[in-house]
Amino acid sequence: MTLASSAPPTGPLAAPSVRQPSAQWAQGPAVPVISVLVALFIGAIFVLISGHNPIRAYAALILGAFGSPYDISETLVIAVPLTLAGLSVAVAFRTGLFNIGAQGQLLVGALAAGWTGSQFPDLPGILLLPMTLVSGVLGGAAYGAIAGWLKATRGVNEVITTIMQNYIVVFVMHWLLQDGPMSAPNALGTPASSPIGAGAILPIIIPNELVPLSRLHAGIVLAVLAVVLFWFLLWRTSLGYELRAVGLGARAAAQAGIDPRRRMILVMAIAGGFAGLAGMIQVSGLFHRVFDGFSSGFGFDAIAVALLGKNSPIGITLAAILFAAFARGGTLMQANASISSHLVEVIEALVLFVIAAETIVRAIAGRRGTPAEALA
Amino acid sequence: MKRLLVLAFIFSILFTTSCDALSGLTGSSLKIGLVTDVGGLNDKSFNALANTGRLDAAKDFGVQTSVIESKKQEDYVPNLTTFAQQNYDLVIGVGFLMTNSVWKVAKQFPNVKFAIIDGAPADDAGKTENLPNVANLFFKEQEAGYLVGVIAATMAKDKVGKATHNTVCSMGGIPIPPVDHYIAGYQDAVKTVSPSTTILNGYSNDFVDQAKGKEVGLNHISKNCDILFQVAGGSGLGYIAAAKDKGVYAIGVDADQADVAPGVVITSALKRVNKAVYNTVKSVKDKAYKSGDNFFSIANDGIGYGKLDPIVPANAKAAAEQALTDIKSGKIVPKDTVQVKG
Repeated sequence: MTLASSAPPTGPLAAPSVRQPSAQWAQGPAVPVISVLVALFIGAIFVLISGHNPIRAYAALILGAFGSPYDISETLVIAVPLTLAGLSVAVAFRTGLFNIGAQGQLLVGALAAGWTGSQFPDLPGILLLPMTLVSGVLGGAAYGAIAGWLKATRGVNEVITTIMQNYIVVFVMHWLLQDGPMSAPNALGTPASSPIGAGAILPIIIPNELVPLSRLHAGIVLAVLAVVLFWFLLWRTSLGYELRAVGLGARAAAQAGIDPRRRMILVMAIAGGFAGLAGMIQVSGLFHRVFDGFSSGFGFDAIAVALLGKNSPIGITLAAILFAAFARGGTLMQANASISSHLVEVIEALVLFVIAAETIVRAIAGRRGTPAEALA
Repeated sequence: MKRLLVLAFIFSILFTTSCDALSGLTGSSLKIGLVTDVGGLNDKSFNALANTGRLDAAKDFGVQTSVIESKKQEDYVPNLTTFAQQNYDLVIGVGFLMTNSVWKVAKQFPNVKFAIIDGAPADDAGKTENLPNVANLFFKEQEAGYLVGVIAATMAKDKVGKATHNTVCSMGGIPIPPVDHYIAGYQDAVKTVSPSTTILNGYSNDFVDQAKGKEVGLNHISKNCDILFQVAGGSGLGYIAAAKDKGVYAIGVDADQADVAPGVVITSALKRVNKAVYNTVKSVKDKAYKSGDNFFSIANDGIGYGKLDPIVPANAKAAAEQALTDIKSGKIVPKDTVQVKG
């Protein structure tokens, strides 16, 4: 709660602040940037202990994530669902709710999109793609709204319900794909649905001649639009104002005539919608079907992304790209520098750890005086 | 401003030195890449064995090798592509979960050689399509099943230790070919060595869930089984646990599972994935690489049996050794179709 409420009431895209640059730095990117640097530094100690050269490790990490056009495209492929799931977590944070259920909402979105996409395989893309998209978003939104409704009407803690919802969807998904109505023969060696129709596929936006086997799909355009929508919704609509008001103080908001309970249901539906869109994009852009074990873990990394991005649109996008670069670069680090890719998981955990210890970072940032001046 | 310049300078030095460090990796020797499935390097089974084979090959042939652990199913294609793009000479995928991914990547990189353990490239519809740059590494599991079957049958026939009911059992995960080959060889051996022994078989319909394996195991033991052969990966560990709980014997699979339950696991049916990897690297080095189906068997040391528990009598060991020789010479050809289904 403290993290959400300690965030400034205006986002970085809002009207320019009259505060000093140093204060802006401390309020804005200081904590995330220092957190990442501290985490990388501690990570380097781990690399040293394991008998490797940290500089080589990090060089391999960076080259792995951005070293070639293919690497960059793969990093972005991972960043797309991370960004969307990050928005899902962040919109709830902004309203004072913890959405731990982005993973479950993502999967429901994927299932809904996969079902629509495979049920009407002969429809033209102009119809099928929007239908698939709407199914994914609505699927995730409906699933998210359940947790919001339980919170608003029964006071059930949304952390508990969203965590439980993650489990429910994993097992329902397993049943649907293994023995249930969505099961279909496939070559994956794991339970999977039948493929979606050609019309439901998000096209690859980089030609094969340019970057062979690139998987970067039009979902990245949807992700960018979603980021803009997130900003517009929260800072340019009265609904967004109300949501943020509830996040800053539900009782005060109620005094001002905003019904926090209705906003809770709505915001969880919006959160679920963002996550559901992530699931839809994974189906339509990458795999063209749903399978058991689909896109595991994005919803959880998304919590870290939202925290690191301070629930701001640009912050979330950058944090998602950073975490995607960790994931992609870690693979190459293992291949090229023989350093276990689990190191990046250690670094990711350290980033979170340092963010959680925000006060420590603030102390470091504060004692340095004004870092903005120091760098000038 | 001055500090910024200094920072930039430091970073540029770090970057250039690190690039040098990386370029030191590339040389003229062969480059071999291994991509694990989601089981990871510490699965004590296929992936771990494949990695052993990679390290052995690196040591013996002086080739450069790398490994990537796949964290998600969806990582298979990018991970295989990563090696192919860097012009590796051989890219090995572990496990039949990768058949479709290898097909995709191998078609895109016709000049890179691929190998896939326990599978053949399959198109998006799941149809096998052999490619000129993919070696399919298959095992004659029935031979391994036969070897442990000989040991089980001899012990059942002679009523050794706790094996007093002259009944032996097996449990598969899902009835797919590699699983059923093991069971077929096992049953073939029992029928040959000790026709009077009762044979039971079952499936847990799972490769992960230990509880399901244990359920089948307890059921088998209640039907007088006292030697239980598991062919179900993680689920099979539950089958072994049932044997341990009830004080009977079990037989491990794929890797040597003697350590899982000492005194319970009398031996293991071995599929030497490490040998398959090692030999395939060797074939590339010797320019003897063969695409399409490659079989690993007792003849090329790809199949065997694991450490024997002290309870296994000398005559059972002798019988297994004899079977090993006879299969090698072609005198015995273990069946690969399951005779006792239930």
